[in-house]
Amino acid sequence: MPVIGIPVKHLHKLLGEEIALEKLTETVEQLGCDLEDVNKTNVYQCPGCGSFSERLEHEDAPQRCLACGNEEEKAFPLISSDEVIRLDLLPARPDLFDAAGLARAIKGYMRIETGLVKYDVAPAKLVVEVDSTLKEKNSYRPYIVCAVVEVPPIETDVLRSLMKLQENLHWGIGRDRKLSSIGVYDLSTIKGPIRYRAVGPEELTFCPLGNPDEEMTPREILEKHSKGKAYAHLLQEFAKYPLLEDSQGQVLSMPPIINSHETRVKEGSSQLFIDVTGTTKSDVEKSLNTLLASLMEMQGKVSAVEIVCEGTSKTTPRLDSGSININLETARRWLGLDISLDDFEKDLARMRLGVAGEFPNYTISYPAYRTDIKHEVDIFEDLAIAYGYQNMNLDLVPTMTVGQARPEEEMAQRARQIMLGLGFVETMSLMLTTQADHFSKLCLKPEKNHALIENPKSAEHNIVRMHLMSGLMGSLLKNRRKALPQKYFEVGNVVLVDKKAGNHTHTREEKRLAFTIVDSETGYAEIRSILDAVFYELGWEGQYQAYDHPSFIPGRCARVTLPSGFSACLGEVHPEVLNNFGLANPVALAELTVAEVIGNHYKGESRET
Amino acid sequence: MSIEITAEQSKLFKMALESSTTLDMQNLSTQTGVDLPMVMGSMTFAQDQGWIKITEQSREELIAQEGAREAINKGLPERQFLDVLHQESGSMPMKMVASKSQELGIKVNDIIKWGTMKEWFEKDKGNLSLGKQAEQALQEKADDEKALALVVEKERLFIDELPEEINPDYVKRFLKKRSDLVKCKERTLRFVEVTKKGKKEIPSLSVKAEEKNILSSEDIVSGKWKEIKLRSYDVTLAAEPKKTVKNHPLQKIIQETRRTFLEMGFTELVSSHLETGFWDFDALFQPQDHPSRDMQDTFYMKRPHEGDLPSKNIVEKVKKTHEDGGDSGSTGWGYKWQTKEAKRMILRTHTTATTVHYLAQNPNPPSKVFSVGRVFRNETISFKHLPEFHQVDGIIVDSEASFRNLLGTIQAFYNKMGFKKVKFKPSFFPYTEPSAEVFVWMEQKNCWIELGGSGIFRPEVTIPLGCNVPVLAWGLGLERLAMLRYGVSDIRTLYESDLDWLQEVRLCQ
Repeated sequence: MPVIGIPVKHLHKLLGEEIALEKLTETVEQLGCDLEDVNKTNVYQCPGCGSFSERLEHEDAPQRCLACGNEEEKAFPLISSDEVIRLDLLPARPDLFDAAGLARAIKGYMRIETGLVKYDVAPAKLVVEVDSTLKEKNSYRPYIVCAVVEVPPIETDVLRSLMKLQENLHWGIGRDRKLSSIGVYDLSTIKGPIRYRAVGPEELTFCPLGNPDEEMTPREILEKHSKGKAYAHLLQEFAKYPLLEDSQGQVLSMPPIINSHETRVKEGSSQLFIDVTGTTKSDVEKSLNTLLASLMEMQGKVSAVEIVCEGTSKTTPRLDSGSININLETARRWLGLDISLDDFEKDLARMRLGVAGEFPNYTISYPAYRTDIKHEVDIFEDLAIAYGYQNMNLDLVPTMTVGQARPEEEMAQRARQIMLGLGFVETMSLMLTTQADHFSKLCLKPEKNHALIENPKSAEHNIVRMHLMSGLMGSLLKNRRKALPQKYFEVGNVVLVDKKAGNHTHTREEKRLAFTIVDSETGYAEIRSILDAVFYELGWEGQYQAYDHPSFIPGRCARVTLPSGFSACLGEVHPEVLNNFGLANPVALAELTVAEVIGNHYKGESRET
Repeated sequence: MSIEITAEQSKLFKMALESSTTLDMQNLSTQTGVDLPMVMGSMTFAQDQGWIKITEQSREELIAQEGAREAINKGLPERQFLDVLHQESGSMPMKMVASKSQELGIKVNDIIKWGTMKEWFEKDKGNLSLGKQAEQALQEKADDEKALALVVEKERLFIDELPEEINPDYVKRFLKKRSDLVKCKERTLRFVEVTKKGKKEIPSLSVKAEEKNILSSEDIVSGKWKEIKLRSYDVTLAAEPKKTVKNHPLQKIIQETRRTFLEMGFTELVSSHLETGFWDFDALFQPQDHPSRDMQDTFYMKRPHEGDLPSKNIVEKVKKTHEDGGDSGSTGWGYKWQTKEAKRMILRTHTTATTVHYLAQNPNPPSKVFSVGRVFRNETISFKHLPEFHQVDGIIVDSEASFRNLLGTIQAFYNKMGFKKVKFKPSFFPYTEPSAEVFVWMEQKNCWIELGGSGIFRPEVTIPLGCNVPVLAWGLGLERLAMLRYGVSDIRTLYESDLDWLQEVRLCQ
């Protein structure tokens, strides 16, 4: 999860007062943010494209720009060094991704400024024409929303904050630019109307951000430019690429890859044009609204943009508040808190929400940037946060219930107790294993009834265990240089793929017990007397029969069938297996099923309701 | 003060007292069976008490060597040659001496050296002839030969023990330097002579009871233990370290967790480690394009590839809830829900899959259930991450249940697990509202540690499953707890089965 550093100074400026650092961090935590730490961050600026890189105090200054690929011999210039509150980004709350959004929430929570924020949008002067080809499969990025924002001449810290927020919205809402991506431009470099259309890979050229002297075709950008290469996969299946250009043919950007150098936002820019393009309507709207709300927190004034597509026209952005009905009685029961009417209204205001209605039914208005609200319980959560988790009086559910353990878990515990009594050390191994450990080294041929993973990160670990032998061999291997004898056991589940298992997962699971002895002299007789002792304690009686198992020495291996239908296998491990695992002493081993965990009794069907 | 002596000492002193001759210590040892160092120790003690007097005497002893027996059987080289020379008319040229001695297999030097010294031979202008003592020697063996025979017979012999007719000086002169035959060693003998005081006091000395470390079975049964004194030990000394066999430390935590929830009136659940996307994600209102469903984070199965969905009724409701909220009072996610995605088999990413499945089967309150089990995340193995770990999930289905009860239940759980301080912080999970992260205070580390998440299931989760009351839910990690309690910094340690660690770790701390 990305971490964002909120400069404390910037936060103070936005809050309009200097709140003690301790109080600030406590408040952001009470709001639900994940506080990483408070640290010093150095900010460096790329001499090429002007984008910012942040480094922690102890880290080296960058020499290469991740945005434009520019590489310098000398480290990038240090432009500021800030004390920052570092937070893990919360994907569910993009409105808390930047200093402005956070300041808005803190102001409410600390009663500096409360209530619903109203956003005014001036009428549209600028037009964006959308080409219908963007709805076609070979250039699909049909949704676009835009806005014009007038801001005080942009200073470095605002520019940085804006770029950082843009980047984080790409991650948090845009799924790394796939669902939505944002472009911000200096409006003074653009002459409307703007066209959003699809272009061929060689149809035109423009200078991408950071490369003012190099005209490139869209194809060249995808092949050569650092951002082009990083995001080429989003366009690779398309014949034509999305592009924004103005009435003079000046390219604004090639979404979702890169902006043009000419139209970039600089320090001192005061008229911004913003577009968000994407593949889902709700995500482009969420991204734009969140960004605008933050800009407005920094004295931005928003004007609408008229979007014309196939003869129909609409204006964006839509920053109207949303509304949702809630029942205060339900909220009180849900939270277990006896919230007074007075507190209810005050707390909603502290959470920057509006309220209308009469007890117990209210209509809650929420600002456009609150993209997380789907249900009245989302408002209940705001009430709980406003109340403060730390202020709640905790207690238990009043209803009496009687507990009950699972029989197979109890059986597993009995097995553990018996093995400890017999002097065996308990081990636990991973259920994920490799073909080599689970089969080849044990001289086994994999059959069709083991579970297989399709996409493991480490390519080898792609098998879910179907026996416990490989785990025990791992224990022997780990301790092969230690004093003998050694005795280990493991109790655990194994998974067997079985179409006839009669449950929705097409697998069966058994609780197994396996144990092993390694010594300079050990063998069948010793492991058999242990297994007999286990059976005795469990009150089981089994039929021993000679058995051929490739992991054991022929003639020194047996299979035991039990009246329950369970079975056991025991014997002296084959010297070839010992060689394969790099073991130097005789090993005897036994494995048995002690309970069925998931089988026919476990139905995937839910009760009809 | 009366002096006590040991049984062994008593035996030794009596032997010395009763013997008609003065015995040396070696002799005493042989006759009593007490080992020599003990004899020497006891006698030194007795001399200190004035009971005996130890006198030392140095004597020369001859000890037979390897070549001695052969020399007796065949005769000394000079003796063998004396016979030859005698038969060869008493004289032969030196050259012939050499060839003859070679025939006999004896060294010519030995013949000439010892023969001339004994004056059996004499050299005379390139010839060797019989000497002055030759006649005598032919009649009778010389004293050194007689002595050598005695030494061989007895293996060792003091020179002063030689019979009177043998001249010790002659023996010394001719045997002392023939180290291949005998060695002559000087030995000190320590003679024990009982003094007057000894004669008076020894008979009345009291004898200590027998001392032992361990009683034999016979000692115990026969009653002999009454006469045996058991030595006292230094009970403050460190003992040999012993190792116990025990449960795996993580298993200990799992069992404590189970016991705690059982004690709190919860019923235990199990479910399959392999699960459909439906129960792991969809039933929990996680949209199908949610990042956690990404191939990067979730293990998808190749075999079995797809599982079965529950009844159509439930699937339809879940689908509708995702798309537009359905009957749940929600707006939904606003996308097209795919059956295929829900059927995909995965390794469960949380045990909430277990509890939500139970909820679908048992939607009516009240119930309190929990499940401890392994969950899987597509991670590469490192000191920080494993692709599988344990979680405990629980739900409370109760019409009276509230968020305050949820936090109270988790607090009670951790209190019972030994954490005195528990705190909660707002958080955001896709399927609970409100949500809380759980922290416990680690006394040893002086900090808060995050151990899991909790919340009330969103109505988008419960309503499609036919449940209309609040469902309190939580999922807490166990590995972290184990690592903190047992001071483990590398998570791999938990599954590596290192015997030293397994035995050294204190389970009952």
